[in-house]
Amino acid sequence: MRNFTIAALAAAALTAGPAMADTVKVGYMTTLSGSAGIIGKQMQNAVNLAMEHTGGTLGGQPAEVIFVDDQRKPDVAKQLANRLVKSERVDVVAGVIWSNLLMAIHKPVTRSGTLLISSNAGPSPLAGKDCHENFFSMSWQNDQTPEGMGKYMEEAGIKSVYLMAPNYQAGKDMMAGFKRHYTGEVAAEVYTKLGQSDFQAELSTLRAAKPEATFVFQPGGMGINFVKQWHQSGMDQVSNLYTVFTVDNLSLPALKDTALGVISTQTWSPDMDNEMNRRFVADYKAQFGGYPSFYAAQAYDTMMAIDHAVAKAGGADTDAMRAALAAGGIPTTRGSLAMNTNQFPIQNVYIREAVLDADGVATTKITGTVFENHADVYAKDCSF
Amino acid sequence: MSFILLLEQIFNGLQFGVTLFLIAAGLTLILGIMDFVFLAHGAQVMIGAYAAASLTALTGHFYLGILLAIPITFASGYLLEYLLIRHLYRRNHMDQVLATFGLILFFNELIRIGFGPAALFSSLPPSLSGFVNILPDTPYPLFRLLVIAVGLACALGIHLLVSRTRMGAMVRAGANNETMTAALGVNIRVLRRLVFAAGACLAGVAGMMLGPLTAVEPGMGEPLLILSLVVIIIGGIGSVRGAFIAAILIGIVDTMGRVLLPVILRSFMGQAAADGAGPALASMMVYILMSLVLVIRPTGLFPPKG
Amino acid sequence: MGVFSILRDGLARNRLLGLILAGFALFPVLSGIMDEPFWNDLAMRIMLLGMAAMGLNLVLGYGGMVSFGHAAFVGIGAYCVGISQFYGFDNGWAHIAISLAACGLLGLVIGFLSLRTTGIYFIMITLAFAQMLYFLFVSLETYGGDDGMSIDRADFMPIDLWDPLRLYYLIWAGLVIVSLLLMVIVRSRFGVVLEAIRGNESRVEAMGLVPLHFKITGYVISAMICGLAGALFASWQEYVSPDIMHWSRSGELMIIIILGGIGTMAGPLIGAVAFLLLEEWLPELMHLVAPAYAENWMIIFGPVLIGVVLFARGGLVGLLARIGGRRS
Repeated sequence: MRNFTIAALAAAALTAGPAMADTVKVGYMTTLSGSAGIIGKQMQNAVNLAMEHTGGTLGGQPAEVIFVDDQRKPDVAKQLANRLVKSERVDVVAGVIWSNLLMAIHKPVTRSGTLLISSNAGPSPLAGKDCHENFFSMSWQNDQTPEGMGKYMEEAGIKSVYLMAPNYQAGKDMMAGFKRHYTGEVAAEVYTKLGQSDFQAELSTLRAAKPEATFVFQPGGMGINFVKQWHQSGMDQVSNLYTVFTVDNLSLPALKDTALGVISTQTWSPDMDNEMNRRFVADYKAQFGGYPSFYAAQAYDTMMAIDHAVAKAGGADTDAMRAALAAGGIPTTRGSLAMNTNQFPIQNVYIREAVLDADGVATTKITGTVFENHADVYAKDCSF
Repeated sequence: MSFILLLEQIFNGLQFGVTLFLIAAGLTLILGIMDFVFLAHGAQVMIGAYAAASLTALTGHFYLGILLAIPITFASGYLLEYLLIRHLYRRNHMDQVLATFGLILFFNELIRIGFGPAALFSSLPPSLSGFVNILPDTPYPLFRLLVIAVGLACALGIHLLVSRTRMGAMVRAGANNETMTAALGVNIRVLRRLVFAAGACLAGVAGMMLGPLTAVEPGMGEPLLILSLVVIIIGGIGSVRGAFIAAILIGIVDTMGRVLLPVILRSFMGQAAADGAGPALASMMVYILMSLVLVIRPTGLFPPKG
Repeated sequence: MGVFSILRDGLARNRLLGLILAGFALFPVLSGIMDEPFWNDLAMRIMLLGMAAMGLNLVLGYGGMVSFGHAAFVGIGAYCVGISQFYGFDNGWAHIAISLAACGLLGLVIGFLSLRTTGIYFIMITLAFAQMLYFLFVSLETYGGDDGMSIDRADFMPIDLWDPLRLYYLIWAGLVIVSLLLMVIVRSRFGVVLEAIRGNESRVEAMGLVPLHFKITGYVISAMICGLAGALFASWQEYVSPDIMHWSRSGELMIIIILGGIGTMAGPLIGAVAFLLLEEWLPELMHLVAPAYAENWMIIFGPVLIGVVLFARGGLVGLLARIGGRRS
């Protein structure tokens, strides 16, 4: 039913591929409608761009991508996942922005013997005790990024930090990850309402506490709200702001120079200096008129990973593709990625600063590397 | 907690409260006078915010943007009433729920198509981004003070309009007895349209003031719709005075709950437990307050007589 | 009147409902022939949402109590399964019993506190309780919080649910039982009094009856039906999260009933069919007509709902009845 298919078949059939090559089918699930539609749109753009770059093929085989819209509802996601697996008989299910949606489709997809590759969500159960040999992440485990910030702030000699995150699972994961590598004093740990739009009350309390540094995780619209209000309340004079998943190329167009100078950690940045990333960012900007966000980069990487796996496996055979991915050496916009035993990437964590580029557009720039080849802590709980 | 911080938090609560009041004022009249369940009032907030942000970007002047946006929100309410709402007054509440739910989807999607799915840029002009010392050495954002002032001024204006003018008398009469009002020669249709447009305009003003503070994005009004319904229920449906008192109450209770609950809980339970329970309880605060009020007074604090 | 005569009578009066139930019974044959097994997933979602909506319709349609918090009961029903399993308790029938008991009890408490109010006040107080439960489950880290908890298909001895088709017919059987139960209730003295209360509460009081007792009983039954839907939902989804308790889900249930036809037997089910099929097909349609706007399908969905209000009084059931009436 919901087939937004790229017609890549014809183009691929004309090229002299393997004589009887099967079509590689990828089901790509993301949120296209509703208020999170902007994230899904960026991911869809990136997937389309990846297919353009591979000439409509994956691993040299003709390929087809089926986009499905999960509407950010677990039950819709589950129904679509079943459809992709049972009816479309795809070789790989990929995408998924939200942890709870990934949890909902994890079981039916992996059980069916289809590979599941996350382009974003990375909840700790799936990295640890509930891990599955058919599940791969091409993004990060939730804890990795804040761990980088914890280490950075520890090394910067910061004595006291004020923590703030929304009151939900990812928020708690982020704060736990941060504290794993930061040993200084935690002045306060504040959990805000999920979806909160006004942080003035929390900022007033923060102002009175006068912490040396503030570490914040406020994704999406919450991040826009927070950074705006931080700026408007003159908090820069009170404390230094450090963030994860708060200031990125999705929120920056709405923040512009308001966020300049804000420090964050991330596993990717548009200015990463490797050939694949340069091509991705330049073509993305040319086609879609703006910087890609990390969501887009990870979506692109997911397609590159499938491309790599099919090429090495010589076809869309699940076992061979799984082995190819698990072996690592996956070419991505983050360079060549290694895979941990739980099949989450082992990767660098960078420190980034919000800056203006040569054209005066707000973006992020890497200023240093906190972790090299950083692995998550849950892998030890995982055995297939 | 120091006195200064407490005062600052009261200001924060007040600012949140008056914003809620601006949204609730129109809605309580729509519910009260017209007996109309209008779920798309949050969309009016969004329209106000988008109109102001895009007109500011277009003209390059914040004040000019606001000035142009106000008649737009009034007109949007007026048109909506004329095109659709007036056909729904005679329907039961459930039909109204379905139709106005459909309106929410429509407006959100319209904005998404027109302005794109991403949040819009909106910020304050330099003249409004300064600080005022509300006490010695206690800087408070100037714009937030302005929001409080505008909210209170609007509240006073509505109060005078409703209690002192001929039109207000008609509105009050309409809230109590529609046919009687009509019998007295009041053009009930025009009255309804004006009240509806004014309500949309007030909600739009709330949106304009939220614009520079929060993310201007599709669906931004929905969480506020639920909260303003809570305000209306606590205040008593159809009572502007009740809505005002309830809005301030909710604003202060919500703010204080968020700030104080974790601190209070931490004093008699473990840090981790308090960090979990505090924000959860704070999120429930307004609903707990509403159910308490309703269990004790089933028609709110100030039900209009009639 | 005996129960069986009520049933015979009920089925005769509700041919539409019987027709839909028969349709659901035969549907897997069709999806089997077409080799589209995933259609069954959509059908199961429709049946589950329809079941919850039927439960809500008892209070909303027949009793005139507009509850804006019934998704909470669906959620509690589902969480009863998840939490039981979390503590190693794995019998599916027992899960259902626990869900029914929990939702019944919760319905009693919420009903008792809420039913002092009427009209819009009642709408909002039921919403308030649902919101409290929603925020409670978001913050319960033990049960996964916002990320939710994974659920294994429970042990429905002697039915082994390894075959999804068996789950399908388990859900279908649940739907049939709920339909029959509602037919009996609506035609019983209790149902008649409940409808009379909606029409004129003081007249019922004058007859020496206590309306509150009838209302609370109705509310509890309705909560239990939603709990059953929730428990089966958990088995279908193999996962539960606070998302199904969100207020927009309560709204969805109301919308489904209004769309289908308030206070009719078949309305909630027809509403669920129409609502989910629209959600499924509108993006498809948009993709054909205006591919660039495929994800903006709600721009059509919204006005369709408004159109139903303006031009199809009594929802789809009313529309169907009018079409049928014109033909004969």
